[in-house]
Amino acid sequence: MTHANLHRCLAWVLALFACGARPSGTCAADVAEEARQFEVAKARAIRNAVAAIAPSMVTIETVGGAQPVRQGMRGPVEESFRVADGPTTGLLLSNDGLILASSFNFARDPSIITVRLSDGRRFVATLLARDQIRRLALLRIEAENLSAARWVPAGEIQVGQYSIACGHGLGASQPFASLGIVSAVGRRNGIAIQTDAKTSPINYGGPLIDLDGRVLGLIVPIAGAGGGALAGVGWYDSGIGFAIPRDRVDDVLSRLRKGENIEPGKIGVVLAPLEEDPLDEMFRDLFPSTRGVRIAALARPSPAERAELQAGDIILELEGRPISDVAELQRKLSDRAAGEKIVLKVKRRWRTLDVAVLLAAPKDIGPFDTPEEEEEAGADDAELPPGDDDSNQPTTQPEGD
Amino acid sequence: MQRRRTIAACATCLMSVAAATMPLRAAPGVRTDSVAPLIGGAADCVVKLYGTAAGREHGYGTGVLVSSDGRIVTTLSLLVNLRGVRVVLPDGRRFEGRLERIDERRQLALVKIEAEGLPFLAPVPATDLAGGDTVMALGNWFKIAEGNEPVSVCKGVFSVRTPLEARRLAQDFDYIGDVLIYDALTANPGAAGGPLLDARGRFVGLVGKVIESVSTNTRINYAIPSEEVIAFLGGEAAEPPREPAAPVDPSRKPYVGVKLAKLGYRHVSAYVERVRPGSPAAEAGIRVDDLIIAIDGRRIADADEYDAEVARLLPGQVVPFTLKRGAEIVNVEVKVGVAP
Repeated sequence: MTHANLHRCLAWVLALFACGARPSGTCAADVAEEARQFEVAKARAIRNAVAAIAPSMVTIETVGGAQPVRQGMRGPVEESFRVADGPTTGLLLSNDGLILASSFNFARDPSIITVRLSDGRRFVATLLARDQIRRLALLRIEAENLSAARWVPAGEIQVGQYSIACGHGLGASQPFASLGIVSAVGRRNGIAIQTDAKTSPINYGGPLIDLDGRVLGLIVPIAGAGGGALAGVGWYDSGIGFAIPRDRVDDVLSRLRKGENIEPGKIGVVLAPLEEDPLDEMFRDLFPSTRGVRIAALARPSPAERAELQAGDIILELEGRPISDVAELQRKLSDRAAGEKIVLKVKRRWRTLDVAVLLAAPKDIGPFDTPEEEEEAGADDAELPPGDDDSNQPTTQPEGD
Repeated sequence: MQRRRTIAACATCLMSVAAATMPLRAAPGVRTDSVAPLIGGAADCVVKLYGTAAGREHGYGTGVLVSSDGRIVTTLSLLVNLRGVRVVLPDGRRFEGRLERIDERRQLALVKIEAEGLPFLAPVPATDLAGGDTVMALGNWFKIAEGNEPVSVCKGVFSVRTPLEARRLAQDFDYIGDVLIYDALTANPGAAGGPLLDARGRFVGLVGKVIESVSTNTRINYAIPSEEVIAFLGGEAAEPPREPAAPVDPSRKPYVGVKLAKLGYRHVSAYVERVRPGSPAAEAGIRVDDLIIAIDGRRIADADEYDAEVARLLPGQVVPFTLKRGAEIVNVEVKVGVAP
């Protein structure tokens, strides 16, 4: 390297450093102008990003349908939210008419769904399937040469990077766009990223984008594990918003394309904490990892029954990871779908067994055995304490898992 | 040579650090640590309003000084009424405000206090506000500011200027005209009546009351554009409703010529049950079993909305109808006729 090159290099460094360090004697007008210039540059960056994603955003309009029914008297409070008329937002996933949106947008089970592209063309859309865990919905329109959105590979998403939550829910000429940052990645058992950009029915189903207009994730309402069709909407505009990144969409895309709805998968057992038996406690002191969760009762038919689990079995591990209490097991199971297989390590008397369980949807699980006197108390204990972060899971129902 | 290479490596390294820390690709030479210089003295021009709470209306709000002799513009609410309103200036001085004028269509009110030599904000039209622009809102949210404490400031991003169909406490929100939509959280008690500032610190809008959008059932953060404030202060009458009233001549009722399927009193989708031969609908090619989903781009959710939309049309007008026919979307143009 010549001296000339080196000097040029250093001049560059100095020039760049000068950006941050201005002489302190600058007058107020200059400071105001600089602050304004920054806001102007930021506004331009937002506009460019939104303009880049706009052709991939669609407006969803629905006709017909009813308000979702609140499940039982003790259903989550979010279900008192009344779903409005829309419109809502969707995102072009492919150039040939696949559209990704949020299942929230179809909570009313509309009889007719139409989609308006950014160029104004309208199409009748078919709802292929919904994912009740990720709160996604996949639609198809008969169209070609569309502008599929570009996504950010999930591994590149960084906490702290700018994010913009876009949506058509106001029905205005321009999308609503809220600026924030990525607050966390790997939320809700790894299915979602979190943002402090404002998310609400205005942009559920819309894209959370970076400053290049690439999609970080699809905006969905998620609150706790499980919950009804409207869970999570109570957190709208709170600064706690969620979006599903591309790899978590891809996990279920082929099933959704085939028209398979994805429902929470259950084992079909009533869970109870271990009794505080002096012997148990002594055992636990000796082997700290051997805590677990007791199966108080089984449903029939149920995946548990088919896997030959028994009342009284103690679940020690899920997928090789130790389970310390009911809440932990429920949380770890909350994003598992019906049709998925899980492996439990179970202690039965003096033996430990590995049991593979094929999870089933709640509707495919029968009534529970009436637990014996002492086990009934255990079933009640299965309720999570109030204030747990999964509190809107209907844990008071014995079919919790 | 070794030393040179180290320096070069350092230089590259520093350059990439500098590039990475330059937020949002701002132009070089830009300070990014504060919007304080943009807010300037705006907070000195924002007053706190107090009155009696009535029903679900909170007994406090915000106002903007718009003249040095104590004129204050705020949003229309039960807080400002003929009994007067208590006004607290940013310096802690208290005044009895007298209601000078209201405008229901613009949802604005003008209050006067007896004072001189006050700082004030002049409203500036919001016409050049574009999506992505920085906005800042000032207000007495949750009446946190007390006595001589200045009001609170928040910052957000402006999205769009749009008409808004909304409700306020289960009633329709009467404001006509466009609102400014942004993502700063101003849908809070006490925020209404505060100024919305743009990136130049100009007073481009007045934060509105808490309302719920009909299309989302959620609270909307919005402001009334300053053009309306300017017109209100200038004494201009509000524009008439944008929707034309029903045709003046009652003998010339708009006519399309379709009969929709109706099931008792239930709200049902606008399915065409019959098309009168020779009617505008028949001419346009509307068929039995078509579903009317939009008229002139406006969504038709059910038969009642269809009736209401058709009643607004004018005979002779050519209006695009959007139909769903099987799995197809069909657009037709209907030349509205006169009811026989």
